[in-house]
Order: sequence, then structure tokens, then C-alpha cells
Amino acid sequence: MVSQIRQFVLSKDQIAAASLAALPKIGPKRLMTLLKHHDPQTAWAVVQGRAKPSESVAAMLRTEGLITLLRHRATQELQDQIARRCKSAGMKIAIFGDADYPRALTGDLAPPAVLFYLGDLSALDNRRVAMIGTRNATASGRYLASHIAYDLATNNVCIISGLARGIDAWSHRGAMRALELESNADQLNKIARPVGVVASGLDVIYPREHAQLWQDIAQHGALLSESAPGSPPEAFRFPLRNRILAALSEVLVVVESRTTGGSMITVDEAQKRDVTILAVPGSPRNVASNGTNLLIQQGCLPIIGAQDVLVALGLDHRRASENIYDPRPRLSAGDQDLVSTMAGSPFTLDEFVVRTNLATIEAAVSLGRLEAMGWVIGNSGWWEVIEVRQPRG
Amino acid sequence: MFASVRSATLLGVRGLRVDVEVHSGIGLPGFTVVGQPDEVCRESRDRVRAAFLSCGLAWPTRRITVNLAPTGDRKSGACLDLAIAVGLLATQELVPIEILSQFAFVAELGLDGSLRPVRGATPLVLATTDRRTVVAVENLSEASAASTANVFAAKTLLDVVECLCGRAVWQVSQPTNDQNANTQIVRDLADVQGQPAARQALEISAAGSHHLLLVGPPGAGKTMLAERLVGLLPPLNDQQAISATMIHSSVQTEFLNNGLIRSAPYRAPHHSSSMVAMVGGGTALMRPGEISLASHGVLFLDELGEFAPSVLDALRQPLEQGVVRLARARTSVVIPAEFLLVAASNPCPCGEGTPGACTCDDAARARYLRRFSGPLLDRFDLRVAVCRPNTNELISPISGESTSVVAKRVATARNLAFSRFGCTNSALTRQQLDVVAPLSKKAEQLLRKELESGRLTGRGYHRVRRVARTIADLAGAPDVIDEPHLHLALMLRVDLASGLRTRELIF
Repeated sequence: MVSQIRQFVLSKDQIAAASLAALPKIGPKRLMTLLKHHDPQTAWAVVQGRAKPSESVAAMLRTEGLITLLRHRATQELQDQIARRCKSAGMKIAIFGDADYPRALTGDLAPPAVLFYLGDLSALDNRRVAMIGTRNATASGRYLASHIAYDLATNNVCIISGLARGIDAWSHRGAMRALELESNADQLNKIARPVGVVASGLDVIYPREHAQLWQDIAQHGALLSESAPGSPPEAFRFPLRNRILAALSEVLVVVESRTTGGSMITVDEAQKRDVTILAVPGSPRNVASNGTNLLIQQGCLPIIGAQDVLVALGLDHRRASENIYDPRPRLSAGDQDLVSTMAGSPFTLDEFVVRTNLATIEAAVSLGRLEAMGWVIGNSGWWEVIEVRQPRG
Repeated sequence: MFASVRSATLLGVRGLRVDVEVHSGIGLPGFTVVGQPDEVCRESRDRVRAAFLSCGLAWPTRRITVNLAPTGDRKSGACLDLAIAVGLLATQELVPIEILSQFAFVAELGLDGSLRPVRGATPLVLATTDRRTVVAVENLSEASAASTANVFAAKTLLDVVECLCGRAVWQVSQPTNDQNANTQIVRDLADVQGQPAARQALEISAAGSHHLLLVGPPGAGKTMLAERLVGLLPPLNDQQAISATMIHSSVQTEFLNNGLIRSAPYRAPHHSSSMVAMVGGGTALMRPGEISLASHGVLFLDELGEFAPSVLDALRQPLEQGVVRLARARTSVVIPAEFLLVAASNPCPCGEGTPGACTCDDAARARYLRRFSGPLLDRFDLRVAVCRPNTNELISPISGESTSVVAKRVATARNLAFSRFGCTNSALTRQQLDVVAPLSKKAEQLLRKELESGRLTGRGYHRVRRVARTIADLAGAPDVIDEPHLHLALMLRVDLASGLRTRELIF
């Protein structure tokens, strides 16, 4: 408890570093140069013009107009604002070289100088797999992403992804589901916690619909960002985020991807770092699988399930769970009755009303609810109960 | 000698005022009708002559010219016969010429001098309301129900002469209690066993005038349901009754022996019906089609897919506007066509529809679905899948609510809707919807989700809200639309083509 409270108090160094990251025209490279030659508070004084820069920093600051801009922006107000934002979001800060800075990043080609995070970075102490893919995924792609993530998480492999729409989100959901489904507290320690790396500031949720997922990952795993609090999701931040994804992962799994786009940038970054790249093959007719198929054609290993990823990590894949994974929300007792009454053959709303003895309007509500949860599926007025679990004989 | 007699002729569902001018002068004996008469109209010469002779009246041996003014419009039908005869009588001074300006004559003449009923008595009489109108006895009750002015009847041409000369009195109609008049035999909703959702759909359709599409295998009771919808509709008000009577009157001679049509009409044309039979037109009279005959009532199209595509697409404009505008080279008319469309269709060529039981391949299904144009399907606010009732339901002694019970709820909901903007819920504009159909927070979320997932189009969005408004009205929630109402509205909006793009599972 005590240590937690202490962590919430940010040191002056940390606030100074965070404020530097919030300055315009200060990207990861310039920030690294600043912090390499000065301690954060001195660096802050340097950009304010109150301290003498070292030689290489002075060379960097000589860029046209930069020093004027920085002096104009580097105010006490900015520092207060950043401190306030970090505090209210419960954000923690790891500076390159600090003890809590993730070890996976220390040896990287372009490590982030300052890392903002929510949650617990010990999630990164497990084996790490990054899962990426297109935002416009097919249904089967999403299913596969969450399935693989679930299986890897139950095998104590940390799932890292970018919290974007599509494959990213469903990978996270699969990993989160592994935590949710484990009721045994002892076993819970053996399930890896999810890690998200985002492009915007940690208090700027993007896309909006992932607010819940954002919060869940911050609470149960760790959420990282290189951007200062309040940074909007600007386009240039995404390739930078992708480089951190690649840097953190031991193995990169591409579930579905077009031939161009963010996933391919991550793949490039991973190749620079000699990270193993695995791709899920798809039908050549499926545009969403064009990118992964291309990767396979270029020699990257195809995978069909979590076992293949475990093999690539050198883990014992025979322990992989044989549970049939059903990520749908659990049914209430009443809904369970409805589902078991109607299971077996297709039915219409009429039959549903007759067999469940509900009023038509209630029946419509129940059916709508079951459909939203994925327990029934409608087709031209007929409905079917979807059973994932095989009935045990 | 010259005489001018007022009469009327039919165009579409309206009477066109015609002045029959008769001139009898010196010259070779002859009889000419000018002023664009059609064939039937020109033949009146022979009928009038025969009627004169049968009645023992003298046929003038002079040169007679009959002009039908205004000469610009084409005159059609035999309803001018009596007017021509009276004009001739006036030129011979057999009837007093002065009092003719108080009268109008609308009847056909038989060769024996009797007055025959004409089609369109209601519109014809309504065109001559400023005068006393003389019609055949068979047309009397219909004509006097429609018109506020004096309507007289006579049996023969001789009677007309006697009455005009003041030697006899006109026959007038006996007032009848027309509230009970012309009621059709209503089929009771209690006959329908089971099928609660389909029954609910009928109720919603009647309450909000939402067009309804029933999809189901043969034997599911689609026709039975459609026939019962008309009983749920309220009786026509005065204005609607006159409009409906005008339309029906202009295609039939005698059916209205008891005044105005007071109950909602039901029309179920066969799927071989031609375009003209459906929308109207055809002859110079511009006969109203089935869609107009179903005005203020129900138009039932069984086997929707078997109708010619051109016929179905011709329904689109009337569905939007409530009238059909027929334009021809000579004339153009506007005929009311404000009907509630109910259609029935099999889900696929084999008729089975149930997933797993259907034997059609995807291509055949797709071909079948292509018969319904998207814009037409879009106009069905309610699209309901019906299945055959199972044995238990069929032999169950418990029957559902009867028509009279449901009709009361429908009437309440309709009154509620009319009290808002004076129209049914299906006719609400988008702006009006925002006012009368505010969504609860949850309902809004539900709709947003449907829109985002692409299952609901922009147009569908407003239609669902209208249906939800009606459902809420029926459920006694006249203010905010809540989630359950919307859920039901969405459930009753089956996507026929969804077999090709199934809803997604949650993983």
C-alpha cells in the first residue's frame, strides 16, 4: 500500500521529463538527445534558456526557429498542467535508464526516452507476443485473434497489441477473457496479463468505443504510451507506436492485414529487430488476408493456432489448453432457459413467443439481447441458437 | 329552335360538367353529334330515336345538331342520353324550356324509353350540385347519399316529360341509416390460431398504416391474416367515404344500393393483373385501377414475386404520394390511391424458407430475391416471417383475441396519432418524428448500434422509428420510445436478403 502511494507522487525529474515530451517539435530522437546529455531538470532549464546546453544539444537546438518555439512553449504553466494530468489519471512515468524502465526496451535501436504507463509493468516480465492486424478484419479473423490470444495468455504468454479497432481489440479481448474466466486465484498468477501500447496520450482514449477495454487493460495489465498526456491521436504517432510494439515483442503474430498499412510498418520494424514474424494464412480472395499471405510467400512462417506460436517461443506446446473457448457473455438463468428451450432447430419470432410464453414485445427484447450477446443469430426472419461447446456425451 | 341542357360525363373519378346544346333547324332531316363524342356517345342518336318512338313521342323531321360543350374535352359513355333527349323535347316545345336551367340529367336511355343506371353516379352528381339532378331509379340511393343537392329519379322518358311539365312528381330517395350500409362480411381475427407475432404485426399495421409484407411457406396462413387486417381498420369518415364511393362508383353500375361505402375496402387482384388494371387508365374514361379501388382500405398482393416487375414498380409513386397521376396525350387525371399495402411471398422458390429445410441453392434464392426491387421492399415498414402453426396450436381450443377487441385498441392508437399531426404514424415526416418520437437513451444506443453495423439504412432508421412510435402507442406509452418498442420494431423488419450476409457472431 505504502509503495503504491509513493509511486503516485511523481518526482521533479519525472515531471520535467514529461513536460519535455509534451513540447512541440520534440520527438523521441530529440528527447533522447536532451536526456542523454542532461538530467531532466537541467534539460528543462536548457530549453527554457536558463542553462547552458552541452555541445551536441546546442547543435540540435540550432535548427531554424526551434529555440524560439521551445522558449515560448516551455512555461511553468505547461509543467503544472502535465503534472496535473498525470496525477488525475494516475499515470506513472519511466525514464530511460531508471530502474522501472522496461528491460525489454533498454537494448532497443530507438528506445523511447520517456514512457508513460498505467497499471503494472511487471506484465512485461513474461514471454511476450505482439498481435497485430487490420482494423477492417473479417469475422473469422477477429475470432481467430481472440482465440489465439486467449490460448497464449492461459499459457502465460503476454499479449501485446495496439488497442486499435479490429484485430488489435479482439486480441486484447481474448487475453482479457483468459483472466476473467479463471476463477481460481492460484491459477490466476499463471495467466499473463495484457499489455497495450497506444499512440495518443494515455488520457486521450482512441478510438472512443474502446474506453472499457482501455480501462480493463490499465487495471489488469499495463497500458503504455510514449506521448505526453493530452496528446491527440495524430497520424505521425502511430508508426512510432508500432516501433515500440515491435521492440517489446519476441514474436510478432500478424492475423489479418492488407498489403499496406500500419501492420506492415510494424512488420518492417520487427524485421529491423530480428523479431520472429508469424502470419495467419487466409484465402487469396480475402483482401483482408492479402498482407499475411504475402508475408508467407516471402518466407515468414504460417501458423494455424496458438500451439505454433508456443513452438516459436520454444515453449512446451503440449500443455496448451483443450478447453473450447467461448468468449460470449455468460447467460443469466432466465436467458439460459430461453436458449435451451429454443436450441436445436431454427425458429421464427412466432414460435419463440408460443414456446416461451412471453408477450411478443418481451420476446423481441429477449431475442434482441441474446442476439447482441451472440447466442442467437437471425437470418431472413428465422433464428438459430449458436452452440459453441460440444454437448458432452 | 335551340335548347341547352346540363349533364355530366366521367373522367377518371371525377364528373366533368357538360352542356348539351341541341339545335333543330331547317334542312335535310338528320342528326349529328359534335364536340368530341366517343363511339358510345355517338350511338346515343339511335337510342334516343328508338326511345322517342317507343314512348310515342314525335321524332322531329328537321336538321338536328347536338353540341357537347366544352368541345375541347372528349366525352365518353352513355350518360348524356337523357340530356340529349330532353334537349330535343325542349326544341319541340314538349317540355317548358325555361325550367331546364334548374335541372341536370344523368342517365342512359333504353330502346323502350326506360332510364338506365350509369357508372359513376356519385362523381357525376357531384359535378352538378348546383342544379336538381335527374337520374335513373337504380342510381337514386347512391346519388342522393353523395350529393347534398336535390336528386330526382324517374322510370321512363315519358315520366321525365310528365314531371317536367308538372303533371307528375319526381321520385325521391327514402333516407336510410347509412352507417350500417355497405358493410362487408368481416372475417374474425379469432379464427387465426397461434401466430402471436403475426397477429401483433397486423395490429401495428392497422394502427399506424404501415405497409406489411408476410413471408412464409405455403399454408402458413398469409392470405388468412391479410384478409383479417381490413376488419381492424376503423370505418371511413365522411370525406373518405365520399372519396371511396366516387372511385368504386366510377367502375361499377349498381352495387351501392345503400349509399356511401363506410367500411374499408379490400382488394386482392390476381398476380396476372396488368399495369393498367393496377394503376388505372386504359380507356378515354381513365378508369381507376386496383390501387385506387383499395383507397382507404387494403390492397393485398398475394405471391408478390409473381407480379410483373413493371407493375410492382408502378406502385412506388402512389405509395409515396397517396395519389396516382395518370397522364395521356389528351388528358391527365389525379386519382386517389391511399391504400395500405399488404403483400405475401414465399421466402424462396421451394417455399420452405426454414434454414436447413430449404432445398434451393444460393443462385436460385438470389434470383428469386431479385424480383423484389430494393426500393419497393424498403416501403414495407413491417416485414414478418410467418411459419405454419404446429399441431398443438391448430387443435387448441383457446382462440386468440377477436377482431372487435383488437379493433378497439387500433382505433385508440389511430386517434392518438391523428391528435398529434392529423396523420397516421407512417405518414410522419422526419421533423415531426423528432417531435413526437423522442428516443430514450437506451433506445438511441440500440439504433446507433444497428446503424453502425450497417443493418439499418438511413431510410430504414426513420421507418423503424415510425413503427416504434405505433408500437409504443399501442402499448399505452404515448411519450418516449423505449428500447422494447424498438426491439420489436426491428424484429418485425426482416431482411429478406440477409441469408447472403448473416449477422455476426460475438467472439
